[in-house]
Amino acid sequence: MKVKLVKKILAANDRIAEANRRLLSDAEVFSLNLMSAPGAGKTTLLSRTIGALGGKLRFGVIEGDIQGTHDAEVISAHGVPVVQINTEGACHLDANMINEILPQLPLEEIDVLVVENVGNLVCPAEFDVGEDAKVMLLSITEGDDKPLKYPLMFQKSEALIINKIDLVPHLDVSLEKIRRDAQGLNPKLRIFEVSCKSGEGMEAWYGWLQGRKESGSLHGAL
Amino acid sequence: MHELSIAMSILDIVRDACAEEGCSRVEKVRVRIGKASGIMADSLLFSFDCARSGAAAGATLEIEEVPVGGHCRDCASDFTVEEKYVLECPLCGGPAFTIDSGHELEVVDLEVDD
Repeated sequence: MKVKLVKKILAANDRIAEANRRLLSDAEVFSLNLMSAPGAGKTTLLSRTIGALGGKLRFGVIEGDIQGTHDAEVISAHGVPVVQINTEGACHLDANMINEILPQLPLEEIDVLVVENVGNLVCPAEFDVGEDAKVMLLSITEGDDKPLKYPLMFQKSEALIINKIDLVPHLDVSLEKIRRDAQGLNPKLRIFEVSCKSGEGMEAWYGWLQGRKESGSLHGAL
Repeated sequence: MHELSIAMSILDIVRDACAEEGCSRVEKVRVRIGKASGIMADSLLFSFDCARSGAAAGATLEIEEVPVGGHCRDCASDFTVEEKYVLECPLCGGPAFTIDSGHELEVVDLEVDD
């Protein structure tokens, strides 16, 4: 006997993500899902961003790592609320992990919640965690072939931050190719070229983040 | 890498459907997986075999891979491609296309013992 179903496999995750989104929006918290490969500079980007905008926006951070609390310690040195999720092997955060940890954050004291996903260019792109915007970080040391090798994350993100551009003179990498391929995959993608080390290019990213926070949740409108 | 999460979600759906329909043994689970969904079929099959239990303990997973396809407004044609992404219309080279298949992740049906 056949039982017809036609059910979305990730429907359960998406339902919890929607609940997270409602909870955050009711608390007037704007949320970002920050994704990249390991070592692209997510924590450094966050440190700089909190340092620059901390006077104007109140940040909160959820750190996702397979194990350890290194990143959470770096971020908590900025005096912002941080909670750590250790996935103990899982390669991405899902909506339920976020749902379980949200009660540990003082949402009424947070304007921008950043979910720093597990370093991985593949899996995090698939799982909605209830964020208002997905932002991807790519460091140029990873190579200019990445957009066409890992298209999904580029397609699902609203903004791409290309990091470590201070290393351009030392590498055989084409920023132009990264830009062209990423925009080809996702014509609406906003691209920022920055060095989180020197601070070059960061102002444009800060401007976008502040503007994007004002427009709030665009989910479903994109 | 996240195929195990996907396999567990499939098995949750199967378990709920079995409870609803009152079936105790599932022979086969059919799923549609888009080629652009980021799921590797081999890895999903392996994960499913590791995670299956209960009514689905002996079930096989049948995967239908859906190619990436879309519609071009410039040349008014429908297309499908071998790749996981499309940067331009494969027929006319234009930029005015929409992608409407290749991201599927769904359970289609179950074959169960009566």
